[in-house]
Amino acid sequence: MDWDQVELNPKVVHAVKRANVKTFREVLSLSGPDLQRLTKLSHADVHHLQKTVAAAVQTDPAVTGIHQKLSLGCPVLDSLLRGGIHLLGIVEIAGESSAGKTQICMQLCLSVQYPRKYGGLEAGAVYICTEDTFPTKRLQQLSSLQHKLRPEDSLNSCISKRVPILLSRGLVRLVVVDSIAALFRCEFEAKDALLRAKHLLAFGATLHSLSHRFKTPIVCVNQVADAVGDFDLVQSNFGLLDKKVLPTLGITWSNQLLIRLMVSRTRFSLQEWLPGLAAQPWHLGSVVRTMEVVFAPHLPQSFCYYTVSIDGVRGVKEEPAS
Amino acid sequence: MMQRDVASFAFAPAVKVRLISAGFLTAKDICDLRPTELSKEAGISQQEALEVLQEVRRGPAEQGAAESRLTALELLEREQALGTVITFCSALDQALGGGIPVGKTTEICGAPGVGKTQLCIQLAVDAQIPGCFGGLGGQAVYIDTEGSFLVERVVDVATAAVQHCTLITKDTEQREALQSFTVETVLSQLFLFRCHDYVELLAQTHLLPDFLSQHPKVRLVVIDSIAFPFRHSFEDLSLRTRLLNGLAQQLTQIASQHSVAVVLTNQMTTRIGQNQSMLVPALGESWGHAATQRLILHWEGKHRFASLYKSPSQREATVPYQITPHGFRDVQLPDPSVTPADPSLTPSLNSRKRPRGEEGDPSDA
Repeated sequence: MDWDQVELNPKVVHAVKRANVKTFREVLSLSGPDLQRLTKLSHADVHHLQKTVAAAVQTDPAVTGIHQKLSLGCPVLDSLLRGGIHLLGIVEIAGESSAGKTQICMQLCLSVQYPRKYGGLEAGAVYICTEDTFPTKRLQQLSSLQHKLRPEDSLNSCISKRVPILLSRGLVRLVVVDSIAALFRCEFEAKDALLRAKHLLAFGATLHSLSHRFKTPIVCVNQVADAVGDFDLVQSNFGLLDKKVLPTLGITWSNQLLIRLMVSRTRFSLQEWLPGLAAQPWHLGSVVRTMEVVFAPHLPQSFCYYTVSIDGVRGVKEEPAS
Repeated sequence: MMQRDVASFAFAPAVKVRLISAGFLTAKDICDLRPTELSKEAGISQQEALEVLQEVRRGPAEQGAAESRLTALELLEREQALGTVITFCSALDQALGGGIPVGKTTEICGAPGVGKTQLCIQLAVDAQIPGCFGGLGGQAVYIDTEGSFLVERVVDVATAAVQHCTLITKDTEQREALQSFTVETVLSQLFLFRCHDYVELLAQTHLLPDFLSQHPKVRLVVIDSIAFPFRHSFEDLSLRTRLLNGLAQQLTQIASQHSVAVVLTNQMTTRIGQNQSMLVPALGESWGHAATQRLILHWEGKHRFASLYKSPSQREATVPYQITPHGFRDVQLPDPSVTPADPSLTPSLNSRKRPRGEEGDPSDA
């Protein structure tokens, strides 16, 4: 900690150093009387010291009005989210397999490269894939970076060392973790719940601080598990009682999120609903899916329909006739 | 007052020990001395002697709340004059005895998505409602540690509140007050601070008293959330407990000294019981004693409920609420936008008692 940053009487600085208080954090973590006892300074001096250090620590960032948002690449989906994904905070996309989570993430990797006036951020993306099946063919269309990891320690070192370097160079303005569930579900059993919670909290905090330091959206993909009996209802009670599946990783992870989206397949195919739209060749055989906002500070609980086709993920505005 | 023990003053322990072992036992022994004499006799530095004498010589009226005499009636009147910040959900306001009390700390706990941030944003807007509509006409401080404060949502809530006041305006005083109660003024009187970790939060709390002295119109301080920065990176849980206790004390003091309502939000965590698990407020058992009042927001099925869990003056109660595009609202009453012309159906601001003392709102600087 840099004592030259703060304007303090040299006598005070000397007393503090002699008391072996090295960092600003320690100065603020000790109470007034404790500091007095350690440094033998007077009450007024200690009070002034703490306030000066506090002013140095709390660098107030300029708060601007409207945040820019990252578009999902489809106007219908963007309007569900009132513009797109925020630049700060962690967004989770949870859903069963083949609901379209990876497709949405890759589309985001594409849209982040658009110019700002089209809702992009004019930069690349980091796509961290933790599962074995990786759609490399799909990825050839995108110019993003990807890493394939197996043990969870690599994930931690990737997030804490390699990703910040990329972010600080400004080349990358989106981080996608696909998926976070895979690592934390198998590695820990139920009795290690505390240890798992600790790791989850630390991981979430790292992502959070990355997001705020570099104004970069973070998207995490999560899996779902069957909602079994009362245990799960208490654990993840977000008013999702009519759901048969709930996002994994419990309330510890849910507390870290800014926005939670859930995607799932419906039993309709596009051909049944909108024969006109389905007649286009790339829409053949598409199953209609739903994207639902479970919670977000600025959105009501709502949902919209979408399909996955050759050219990407496209929202569907019209409702089914039946 | 002269018979007061030296040990009962707020001096540093080392100084106290020196004074007592030099034979100074009561205030009377000290107050007639000069600083140089005192420092020589007791073996303390000149500056310490000066501080000791200043403290001892201060009249009883200045020596802090413990010394000043206040009857219970005066205390009651003072509390009622402070007022409350309404939540716009009349059922909850009633359960709280009018709203979130000014001068005290209130904790709001709940699972993610249940509406804690929504309630905080609503309170930050409601604190600014002019006095003639039953509000406090004050400003608000919002300390965001999670990054969940979104300006667009504040605009929604502020627009609805301004519209509501516009609809129930009856006399010229209210019409005039409306001139200075617009969405723009609401945003400009809401001071936002962002803290990214617990050190910044501690720092901000140290700086808060000075800020509040410079902005005496602030009536509400929100910290959303206090749990987030304290739930990771603490290997030493006893350090965490100590820091949280210190923070709670500072905030309680700020609430009463500066006449602000302090609102803290907390997360929920799972506690594993014998054969079941339950959701309990985070930050540990001892944190439960920190705030004066505790409100727990929870789901029951698809509905949201607010339970007053701990309060020195109100009964425990559970009331339903909902989050609408306009903000935090009751459940039974129809949405204000649907019945624009019938103010009697909407959560009435006018029926809120006006601040005591017609001569003026205590918040008028």
